[in-house]
Amino acid sequence: MVCLSDGAGSATHSEFGAQALVDTGCKLLSERFGDFVSSDDGVALKLEIVNYLLDRLHDVAERRAVGIRDLAGTFLAVATAGDQFLVLHVGDGVVGYVKDGIARVASGPDNSEFANQTTFLTSERSAVGMRIIRGGLDGITGFILMSDGTANSLYNSRTKGLAPACAKIVELLASAPTRQAKNPKHKKQLRRLVDTKIRVATKDDCAIAVLARKLA
Amino acid sequence: MTFDIRAADLVENPTPRVPVSLCIDTSGSMAGDKIRELVEGIGLFYDAIDEDDDAHDSAEVSVVAFNTGANLVQDFASVEGLQRDITIAPSGLTHLGEGVNLALDTLEKRKSLYSDTGVLYFQPWLVLMTDGQPNGDKSELERAIQRVTRMVASKKLTVFPIGIGSDADLDVLGRFTPEKPPLRLKGIDFKEFFEWLSKSVSKVSQSMPGGEPPIDFGSIRGIEDL
Repeated sequence: MVCLSDGAGSATHSEFGAQALVDTGCKLLSERFGDFVSSDDGVALKLEIVNYLLDRLHDVAERRAVGIRDLAGTFLAVATAGDQFLVLHVGDGVVGYVKDGIARVASGPDNSEFANQTTFLTSERSAVGMRIIRGGLDGITGFILMSDGTANSLYNSRTKGLAPACAKIVELLASAPTRQAKNPKHKKQLRRLVDTKIRVATKDDCAIAVLARKLA
Repeated sequence: MTFDIRAADLVENPTPRVPVSLCIDTSGSMAGDKIRELVEGIGLFYDAIDEDDDAHDSAEVSVVAFNTGANLVQDFASVEGLQRDITIAPSGLTHLGEGVNLALDTLEKRKSLYSDTGVLYFQPWLVLMTDGQPNGDKSELERAIQRVTRMVASKKLTVFPIGIGSDADLDVLGRFTPEKPPLRLKGIDFKEFFEWLSKSVSKVSQSMPGGEPPIDFGSIRGIEDL
């Protein structure tokens, strides 16, 4: 599984909120993936996930003596097990996947009407704005999650499609050696791409997370 | 494997836009120094946008002039497409409601174009400038006030009602922004106001999700009744 959260620039302690969302999201998905993919009640599922994440944020807010809105952040997650996947998404940024070699959008940015508006996990109606997508992994080689800063280079807002680079990035990771290495080649290549091409195209922070596999 | 990401593998999205509508009084009472200074002020506004990297890429300006009726002098355009030599001969009455309605209609068309072409945009701005009392169709004035206040209440529009000189009807201007009093320019010094406006456009164009547009009203010097 992989989770990504982009802290709101306007929230004073959003870096702590984003970290908590990623940690808690991974824990939740690892424990409850089976229940979530088999659930028939989407509304109850959204409320359960949002409330679970908010409970953790409340703990962080109390410990740091801040309001929960000071921890505002988006939330993007992908989990897989067996032949199934689950996507969760609140706010802007993009979740994409590569199927049969073609990069497609699973969940696009929620920007409301204006460029500087989006939903955060801490927003009043975050459960309403949450998107949950589940499906089979047949033909899927990977998922790519990105914050809005990264999406500026990897997501076409006109066509609402992904840039060709997304399939290449997933392929890079899918073909990488699976053995543990301190600073593997593919990580350096991805970092170079972010540092030299993606970050320079925006004034925003850039985050990217990739989950990939090699099909037999 | 070879990992070669070229420019064609990435996308270049259009810069999110900040639509700014200038709705200006060009009635007979604006003749002389007032209109000359106002047109110069608009020119300075264009120059300041041009010089600022962020505002240059994001600002799109339209100009609606109202006197006896309303006229779209400049449709929304980025700084390169703006007509620089604006010539206005003030005359007639002050059909403020008609002017505001035309400005809003033009804005709605622009927003539709943004949506159709995948261009993100920030909350639009309406700058309303008049030196007198409205004397057009009353129902048009009421319709304009209702449209503006509804958009302001739902945070879909930021309005700057500006009274020029001592004869401007601030009571009517105040109805466009019930929660914030209108501004009255000291004399006819538009330069400072438009400098401030261009800086504010630049700041808003850099704002991120979750942040209210950082408009620093307190930094406008030369304006009373703030």
